[in-house]
Amino acid sequence: MSVDEMTTTSESLPAILDNLREIVGADSVLSSHEQLLVYECDGFVIEKNTPDCVVFPETTEQVVAIVKLCNQHQIPFVPRGAGTSLAGGCLPVGGGVMIALTRMRGIHEVNLRDRYAVVGPGTVNVHLTQHLKGTGFHYAPDPSSQGACTIGGNVATNSGGPHTLKYGVTVNHILGAEVVLPDGEVVQLGGYLAESPGYDLTGLFVGSEGTFGVCTKVIVRLTRDPAAYRTMLGVFETVSDATQSISGIIGAGIIPAALELMDQGIIEAVEAAFGFGFPLDAGAVLLIEVDGLEVAVDNEAKQIVELCEQHGAREVRKADSPQQRDLLWKCRKKAFGAIGRLSPSYCTQDGVVPRTKLPEILKFITESGARHDIRIVNVFHAGDGNIHPILLFDERDSEQVERVLRASDEILNRCIELGGSVTGEHGIGVEKISFMNKLFTAEDLETMESVRIAFNPLGLCSPQKMLPTAGACGMEHIERSHPARKAAL
Amino acid sequence: MSLPETTDEILPTSTDEVCAALAENASGEQRAVFPVGGRTALHYGYAPQTPGVALSTHNLHRVIDYPARDMTITVEAGICIDNLADTLKAEGQRLPIDVAQSSRATLGGVLATDTNGARRFGFGTMRDYVIGITAVDAAGKPFHAGGRVVKNVAGYDLCKLMIGSLGTLAVVTEVTLKLKPLPESSTLLWCRFDGWQDLDAALEGLLRSDTRPVAVEALNSEAAHDVVSESRLELPTNGPIACFGFEGTQRETDWQMERLTNELKQANVAELAQVSHEQSESLWFALADFAVTSEEPLTFQAALRPSRTIEFVKLATDAGVSIVAHAGDGVVIGHLPDDVTTLEAAQSVLDPLQQMAARGDGDLIIFDCAEDWKQSIPVFGERMTHWGLMDKIKQQLDPNNLLNPGRFGLPAEAI
Ligand SMILES: Cc1cc2nc3c(=O)[nH]c(=O)nc-3n(C[C@H](O)[C@H](O)[C@H](O)COP(=O)(O)OP(=O)(O)OC[C@H]3O[C@@H](n4cnc5c(N)ncnc54)[C@H](O)[C@@H]3O)c2cc1C
Repeated sequence: MSVDEMTTTSESLPAILDNLREIVGADSVLSSHEQLLVYECDGFVIEKNTPDCVVFPETTEQVVAIVKLCNQHQIPFVPRGAGTSLAGGCLPVGGGVMIALTRMRGIHEVNLRDRYAVVGPGTVNVHLTQHLKGTGFHYAPDPSSQGACTIGGNVATNSGGPHTLKYGVTVNHILGAEVVLPDGEVVQLGGYLAESPGYDLTGLFVGSEGTFGVCTKVIVRLTRDPAAYRTMLGVFETVSDATQSISGIIGAGIIPAALELMDQGIIEAVEAAFGFGFPLDAGAVLLIEVDGLEVAVDNEAKQIVELCEQHGAREVRKADSPQQRDLLWKCRKKAFGAIGRLSPSYCTQDGVVPRTKLPEILKFITESGARHDIRIVNVFHAGDGNIHPILLFDERDSEQVERVLRASDEILNRCIELGGSVTGEHGIGVEKISFMNKLFTAEDLETMESVRIAFNPLGLCSPQKMLPTAGACGMEHIERSHPARKAAL
Repeated sequence: MSLPETTDEILPTSTDEVCAALAENASGEQRAVFPVGGRTALHYGYAPQTPGVALSTHNLHRVIDYPARDMTITVEAGICIDNLADTLKAEGQRLPIDVAQSSRATLGGVLATDTNGARRFGFGTMRDYVIGITAVDAAGKPFHAGGRVVKNVAGYDLCKLMIGSLGTLAVVTEVTLKLKPLPESSTLLWCRFDGWQDLDAALEGLLRSDTRPVAVEALNSEAAHDVVSESRLELPTNGPIACFGFEGTQRETDWQMERLTNELKQANVAELAQVSHEQSESLWFALADFAVTSEEPLTFQAALRPSRTIEFVKLATDAGVSIVAHAGDGVVIGHLPDDVTTLEAAQSVLDPLQQMAARGDGDLIIFDCAEDWKQSIPVFGERMTHWGLMDKIKQQLDPNNLLNPGRFGLPAEAI
């Protein structure tokens, strides 16, 4: 959809652009059609819509001014980090102003004794990791996209990652956040300390997917580095042997730092890209890492090797040197990048099942792929029961897109039937709104809606995200004039 | 206990009955409703200003689903913590939260007050374990959030909103928890120092220690005396005490005890006592139970930067306050001495402490004191910028202000 078609904002747009340029400077406002194309979607490519403009604030005050301006003109706005969302969290439904936070990327303070760091929302996750290297501390959540995604985006989506099995997801590591509320008021949620009185609004804000306001500063908790690691690669004939091993390991009371599964399809692509030496004929590999005290890790590793062997592992290799460990992790974290070798487009799904149900859901995924004639490969956070089937297709073929959507839906519905969820870390965004009333009752959604209203009463901030009801309040005009969301499907 | 004396009680046996009772009240008499569990923490916050009815979770104590191999459990909120622990222990698992009076305290109460203790340093607090809830709002409408899987970002995380909300937003009836394996071994290292400065230096040294304690506690002599006599162990109590907890395999705890002992010997420790796995349970219990108030005139909890904690503890000690600090996290529990019998005396002890906490970005909240003192001592410390948002949320979820009205002293709770 082009800017000209936007009835809500088109009349006021020129004036707003001038105001925005005053706030952030002319260089920091994008508004030409060509410039905006980059922002028509994020990592979720199935739905697209360009914003009316993109602004790049550098300070909280600028964000406040932008948000107040949007309120004044009743224009929707949507925060954006690096745009790696896989759920369409950054899709500017109804157009409006996109607030890109990538220039607010300062690491303002690192305090080791008090175990926190204060960072701008646009700080790239891995930059914080690099900044902390050598201090003996780290920031634990490490999404596979950490080379690009921002801490603000991680907060908004409550990101997970390979090491969240032992260390928990983003919310477990966020102490506080400065937030510009949807009406432009600035609030400090939480703080530097472990406790703050009143409701845990920090915990509530994390994972609110941009619908509760714009996060302009984050206080993250730092974790001590483990003294030692042991990283292993379990090689299995079948996916089922691998998932049985996972149950065996966790059932034995061992919580590895990471437990990631890659199936044959993805091994092939990763091997072609990185040449690690993965066995191409294996049904699945498990990347297993234990960490902790030097006196403990060998024992744990030994137990894990035994458990894998009991469950039919062909072999368990050890990544002996730091270089080998790094390469193994590179293969895992860049696995998505390697998929380009398999097909022109792909859709990464995100579902969760109780981990004992992994064999069942993986079998179902295979069947579903066959049923819809879509190739599906798997690379995922197996220890958490968090699956990521990757559906391979060609975006230009609308009939294939249809089949991809059908297979995805089927898999996610099956996750619900197995007692799980339709998203473990990527979020609801626009992609999964239609699943919300399968997971939740009307009353649940009403309650969530009432909490949204407390933060975002006019619905101008990230309209049409997360809740099927979102936008019911004050957004009718936008929905009516912009049916693009469904039309783009 | 601070419920109006005439309070009668309803005892529902299911979420449906909770819904029915609250719906009837909301569409009828609109009395204030006070959710209660084990009645161990009703003194938190401001006492209700209106009469009403207590809604007890006493008969909501069933285990609904325990798929042990998935390491999650779903239970009713009225289950008492000891019973929950026994159920989990049978499968070699636990909820690693330290709870005082665990034979009476219920899971719902622990959730509402966000109770925690020494092992929060290693294991976190309730927000790290609650993955799903069922609750009923003041109008009798049931709602769920989260689910039964350990990782889940569908919908707003209303679990977090309920934790620490002191029963002001909804009555929690069912809870799903993520669990941890029971450790093979749990031990403590009890250390006496000659002065607070030495103790603080030792805490600072922990940043470089090869060990990874799960608890880092600091106690003054008054508190150490109480805790040690409660634990029935023979441990030194005279002087600043630091206490470190280790959990894991026996190999891990043995190694860490030895290593930290050696490290501390370099750091001017005056006296050391190793508390074995067999003895540790009674010490963990005694540490947790310290937070329980009995006859003390006032009990508070301060939050500080860990680096400022010992300075605060020292000031409080000089004023005669009995202190246990979760020093690794900067959380301090203090009981005012018995000779503080007037509001003025309490304020003269608290004022400098409150100021010091505020200087370190912290705050001091009152757990328990005479109800009339709460008119003059701000129970929740200085109001912060998020208080307005809290108020809006309260208005949204409980527009008629029926659930624990006035507990936080929010405008939305004004009668
Ligand atoms: C190859 C690849 C691998 C991935 N692996 C993982 C993984 O392992 N684990 C995982 O959890 N996710 C993963 N993701 C998904 C994605 O990277 C995460 O959701 C990430 O947190 C998004 O960060 P971002 O900066 O790109 O945010 P964006 O995509 O820009 O935004 C995501 C959402 O957050 C909101 N938002 C962004 N910044 C702010 C802010 N400052 N204030 C308020 N709201 C804001 C947006 O409105 C949007 O709703 C992966 C994605 C890719 C492409």
